Amino acid sequence: MEDLLELAIHGLTLGALYAMVAAGLALMFGVVRLINFAHGEFYMLGGYAFWYAYRELGLPYPVAGLAATGILSAFGWAYEHTVIRTILARTWHVQLIATLATSITLTNLAILVFGTQPKEVPTALSSTILEVGGVRLAWQRLVVLGAAILIFAGLEWFVARSKMGKAMRAMSQNREACAVVGVDVQQVALATFAISAALAAAAAVLVSPLFNIFPDVGALLTLKAFAAVITGGFGYVRGAIAASFLIGITESLAAGYLSYAFKDAIAFVVMVIVLLVRPQGLFGRRIGI
Amino acid sequence: MTLTRRTLTRRIAIAAIAALILAPGAGVPRVAAQSPPPIKVGFSSAMTGPSAITGEGVKWAAQMLADEYNAKGGIMGRKIELYFGDNAGTPGEAVSAVRKLVDVDKVDVIIGQTHSGACLGALPIVKELAVPMVIEACSNPKIRELIGKTVNEWAFRVNPDDVMLANQFAKYMSRQAKTVSIFAQNDDFGRGAATAYDAAFKKVGIKLVSTEFFDRGQADYRPVLTRVKRAAPEGVLLVMLASEGSVFMRQFRELGLTQKLFARGSMATQEFLFQVKDTPAIADGLVEATYWTPALDPEWDKRWLERWKVPVRVHGSLAAIAFRYAVAPAIEQAIKKTGRADRKAIRDALEEIDIPNTPVGRIKFDETHQAFINMLIVEIKGGQLRLVETIPIQP
Repeated sequence: MEDLLELAIHGLTLGALYAMVAAGLALMFGVVRLINFAHGEFYMLGGYAFWYAYRELGLPYPVAGLAATGILSAFGWAYEHTVIRTILARTWHVQLIATLATSITLTNLAILVFGTQPKEVPTALSSTILEVGGVRLAWQRLVVLGAAILIFAGLEWFVARSKMGKAMRAMSQNREACAVVGVDVQQVALATFAISAALAAAAAVLVSPLFNIFPDVGALLTLKAFAAVITGGFGYVRGAIAASFLIGITESLAAGYLSYAFKDAIAFVVMVIVLLVRPQGLFGRRIGI
Repeated sequence: MTLTRRTLTRRIAIAAIAALILAPGAGVPRVAAQSPPPIKVGFSSAMTGPSAITGEGVKWAAQMLADEYNAKGGIMGRKIELYFGDNAGTPGEAVSAVRKLVDVDKVDVIIGQTHSGACLGALPIVKELAVPMVIEACSNPKIRELIGKTVNEWAFRVNPDDVMLANQFAKYMSRQAKTVSIFAQNDDFGRGAATAYDAAFKKVGIKLVSTEFFDRGQADYRPVLTRVKRAAPEGVLLVMLASEGSVFMRQFRELGLTQKLFARGSMATQEFLFQVKDTPAIADGLVEATYWTPALDPEWDKRWLERWKVPVRVHGSLAAIAFRYAVAPAIEQAIKKTGRADRKAIRDALEEIDIPNTPVGRIKFDETHQAFINMLIVEIKGGQLRLVETIPIQP
C-alpha cells in the first residue's frame, strides 16, 4: 500500500511536469496549427535560466523562478517573431524541419554555453523530507503539485475570461474569420508562444530542484508531451493536461510494478491504446483550445 | 571582343592567384616545407547526446596533451595534430565518426570510443579501413573476442573488461553483502557489466535479487528505487556514470534507503563529487571498481584544474593514459624503427611496446591486444575519494 501511494504521488509529479509542457504544445497547435518540436528545449532553457538566476546570481527561489519564466516568455515571443512567422504559411514538412532544426541548434548551443556537466539546483524543500505513514517524499514534490494546480487554474481563467484568451479560442476555431473581424492574429500568436514558453519554464523551475538540467533534457520531454497532446485530443488544452496526468501515473505504476526499462514506452502505449478505442483522443472533438 | 574594366580586373586577379598557386614552392610557408609532417591523432567519443560529458573530457585531455607535447617539439620532432569524431555514445554514430576521422581528416591513429556500444560499432570499420585504434575505456567483455592478432589486428584495448573486474570486485562485495540488486545503464556497457556480475556473484555466493536497466538521460528513478525498497537487498550495484549519479543519489536518500552501494562507471570520481558539491557526503560509503583515480597522477589532476577550472574528468584521464603510455611510445618506436609514423608502422609498434611503470600499471598488449592494467577499489568517504585497494589483473 505504501508502495502504491508513493508511486501514485510520484506519478502525479511526473504528470504535472508533462502537463505544463503539453499544455503549451497544445496551445500552440490549437492557435497556430503548428507542432513545435523545439518545445522541450524551452523547458531546457527555462531550467538553465533558473539555474543562472538561483545558483549564479543567488536570487531567492521565487524571484529566480519568476525571472526564468519571464525570460523564457520573452524568448517564446522572439521565437514566434523570427522562426515561426517565417514558416507559418509553409507546408508542414517545412515546419517540422524548421522546429526540429531549432531544437538541435538550441541543444548544441546549450552544450557550448553551459557545458555538458548537468546543473544541480537543489532547494531547501527538495532535501527536506516529509514522512507520513511510511511514505517519504521531498516537500518540493508537493510544491510542484500545488503550483501546477494554481498554474492550470490561472490558464483556465485566462483562456476563458481574458480578452487575449478569448481571441486565442477564436483563432483556434477560425483564423481567417478572426483576421476579417479585426483580431490582431499576429499579436495573438505572439502571446500564445510567450505563454507556452513560460509554462515550459515554470515546469523547469518547479521540477529542476528534483531532477537535473542538462542540454538533452528536452528531447524525450517533447515526445512525451506530444503523446499527451495526441492522447488528450489534438489541440485541446484540457485534454492534454488530463492525458499528461494519465501518462505520468501509468508510467510510474508500470515502472514500479512491471518493468522500469520500458517506462518511457508507456506514454506511447497509452497513446496507441487510446487512439485505438477513441481515434479522436480522450476528450477529442474538433480542434479548439 | 572588348573587355570591360571589371572583367579585365577579374582576369588579372585570377591570373595572379593561379601564378601564386602554380609557382614552385609559392604559397607554402618556408617553415612548413622544412618541418616534418605532423602526426594526426583522432579522438572519438560522445561529443553530443546524453553522454556528451565524456567527450568534452576527452577533448580537453587531448588539447592538454597536444599542447604539452608540441611545446616540447612533438614526438621525435613531429608535431601532434588533433582531430575529433563524435560517436554520440552509439554504435551507428561511431561508424560515421571513424569514417570521418579516416576519410576526411586522414588520421594516423585513433583513441576511443569511450562507450562500449560505440566501440562495438567501430571495430569492424576500423578493421576495414586499416587504421589503428586504441580503446581507452570500453569495458564490454564481448570486445575481447573481437580484437587481437587473429581477429582484428587494428584494435587494441588498454582498460580491463567487466569480466576481469567483476571477478575481483564480487569477492570484495561478498564481504559486505550477501544479496545484491543490479541497476545498470540500458546499453552495451550496462548490459555487459550486468551479465559479468551475474556470473561473478554465483562464484562468490552472492544472491542476485533483481536486475533493472535504465536509459541514459533519465531524471526519474523513484519507481525503480521503490522496487529496490520492496526487494530489500543488502547491497545495490550501480552501473552508472556521474552525470546520472547525482539525481539517483538524491532520490535514493529521499526514499530513505540504506543499502550498501557498489558502483561501476564514474561514480567514485571528482566529476561526481563536483556534481554534488552542495551535499558532498550524499554518496558516502559508495565503493567503485575502476582503473583510474586522480590519486594515481596528482600532477595531471593539478594541471587539469589549472587549465579547465573544473575537476579532472575520468574519461579524459583515460584517453590521456592511452595516448601517453601506448600511442605516443608506439609512434616514437615506429619512427625510430622505420622512419615512418603511418598507420601500419604505428600498429606494428603497438604490438611491441612494453611500458612497465605507468600510473595505471604495466601497459603491454598480449596476443588478443589486451593490456592488463591494475584494478582499483575507490571509496567515497567524507565527500572525498579514498583509494582502498589496488589489485593487479593477471592475463
